[in-house]
Amino acid sequence: MIILQLFINAFSLGSFYALVALGFALIFGVTHAFNLAHGEFVLLGGYLAYILVGQMHFPFLLTLPISMLAMIFVAVLLQKLLRYVNEPYELNTLVVTFGLALVLQNGMLMLFSADYRFIRSTAPIIELPKTQLVVTQTQIILILTSLLATTALYILLRRTFLGKALRATIQDREAAKLAGINVRRMSLIGFAIGGTLIGLAGPLYARTAYLYPSGGIEATLIAIIITIFAGVGRIRGILLGGWALGIAESLTVYSLGTGWRELVSSLFLISLLLLRPEGILPRRMGANG
Amino acid sequence: MMRTGSKPAAIYFIAILLFFICWPFLFQNSALYYRVMTMTFFYGALALAWNVYALTGNISLGHAAFFGLGAYGSALLSYYWHTSPYLTIPFGGIVGALYGALWYAVFRSLRGARFALATLASVEIPRVIIDNWESFTFGSLGLIGISSLTTLRFGSIVIAVGESLKAQYYLLLCFTLLILFIHWKVMKSKWGWAIRALREEETAASMLGVNTNFIHFATLLLSAFLTGLCGGIYAHLMGLIEPPLVFSLHISALPLVLTMFGGRYLVYGPLLGALILYPLDQLLFHSLLPVGHSILYGLMIILTLLFFPRGIGSWVQKRKTAS
Repeated sequence: MIILQLFINAFSLGSFYALVALGFALIFGVTHAFNLAHGEFVLLGGYLAYILVGQMHFPFLLTLPISMLAMIFVAVLLQKLLRYVNEPYELNTLVVTFGLALVLQNGMLMLFSADYRFIRSTAPIIELPKTQLVVTQTQIILILTSLLATTALYILLRRTFLGKALRATIQDREAAKLAGINVRRMSLIGFAIGGTLIGLAGPLYARTAYLYPSGGIEATLIAIIITIFAGVGRIRGILLGGWALGIAESLTVYSLGTGWRELVSSLFLISLLLLRPEGILPRRMGANG
Repeated sequence: MMRTGSKPAAIYFIAILLFFICWPFLFQNSALYYRVMTMTFFYGALALAWNVYALTGNISLGHAAFFGLGAYGSALLSYYWHTSPYLTIPFGGIVGALYGALWYAVFRSLRGARFALATLASVEIPRVIIDNWESFTFGSLGLIGISSLTTLRFGSIVIAVGESLKAQYYLLLCFTLLILFIHWKVMKSKWGWAIRALREEETAASMLGVNTNFIHFATLLLSAFLTGLCGGIYAHLMGLIEPPLVFSLHISALPLVLTMFGGRYLVYGPLLGALILYPLDQLLFHSLLPVGHSILYGLMIILTLLFFPRGIGSWVQKRKTAS
């Protein structure tokens, strides 16, 4: 029974990780911009929701669309900034957004102080009948939103004309240009959709984990790990990657103790970089879904 | 700077050096000046050590691993065996270099953004291990009361490095000069040309007979050793270390920012960055924004990469060639 409970927790944690990773994966796929400030963006959304819920008494679910709109704006600003970056693009965006992460970290430190913040859930814990398994409302929200967001993104990329253009850009920018796709507009759209997804993850982050200004780097690492695991442009893989990481972390905490949890994501990332070097680059053949 | 063929460079260098040597004699002894400038030299040395490997074109975001291991290596040696700090600090360097060798063994095929990410993740490994190995490293409590730098005796001259801020100031000045010298040697020797060739085009360099694997290995090892030394000095200078302090992102980020700002292709670039940015941070930003003063470094790296990617040191260079 305890294993099943562990699995439920790991599953919701993994869904949460997938949500955190979606925005990063899309932005990286479409534009090749390595956004190391991704985690800080997620935290910004989290702090926004924290203030809305804590000081203006908004219902939690209403903070999601507000944070999504705010983050579209932030992501588009980032796209404007990164347009000035010189070659090599990937490495230089990495360094610029690293600087941006430092700026945001310190900015949040000034605005919100280093205290740990958390949006408390008032909903009762749900006990599944006939078992001793319990599920919190937050866990249900996490699993549902991650499934919804992934499906929506999948449909957008696979079933619409815009999605076709976006996928073409992900696969080969030069060829996409030749086919008459406005790659610059695609990158703007990629950032906007990525911002929406970041805005969706933010309030849920505040509900699931503690908010503190220097916590963003962990979210960034998680997003990078899952993106590499999935391979660029593969939306379903993100969900799988999130679950795999969630299960690996839960098992480590269960068997070794909480102190070792942070080691899992680092080792995961290093082994992915070594063993799946193609995961980080656009695939030459068959980037199909 | 130094002897790059042009005489004025050497004159500027000696003038600036004399300025720092003479300052304590010319002006009032101020503890604030010593404290800030000691740390400026310290971060300058750290940035120079970082750039030794960055010259090959690989940006590391994980030098805090070497720094933290150097700090813990030397602090633990001093704590358990009461060895003199002047022996434990080189030991810290060796511990850093060992981890550097491990990096080389594992990350040798990674380049560019992938290398940067792997290094970023690799800081967590020693940190988590030290955090959890409480019986040996005292875990997250940190090590307190590490012996300060002991008194030096040269015949009749006695220098109490542990107590005197002035002595620490001169010690760090000497240390930074030493690392500047190594950095200069790495850049301006035949080896330096091999490194430059490697940075521009690795395949072509290896075709021309540059042993690229060896260059990667040797520069990484040297850079890790020097960073470990800095970690050891830090531990004995501060007297206390704890995992989040010495393995912090700040330690990885600062050399990158200072080097990029000062000019990463110049012998004195990283040091120039430290001499400008660190006092600016401590004296101006720290009083204006007590909590988030590190925002300066983030802003500087964005501005540098977007508007003067070769660093502000290149302005000095350009003016000199124009005149």
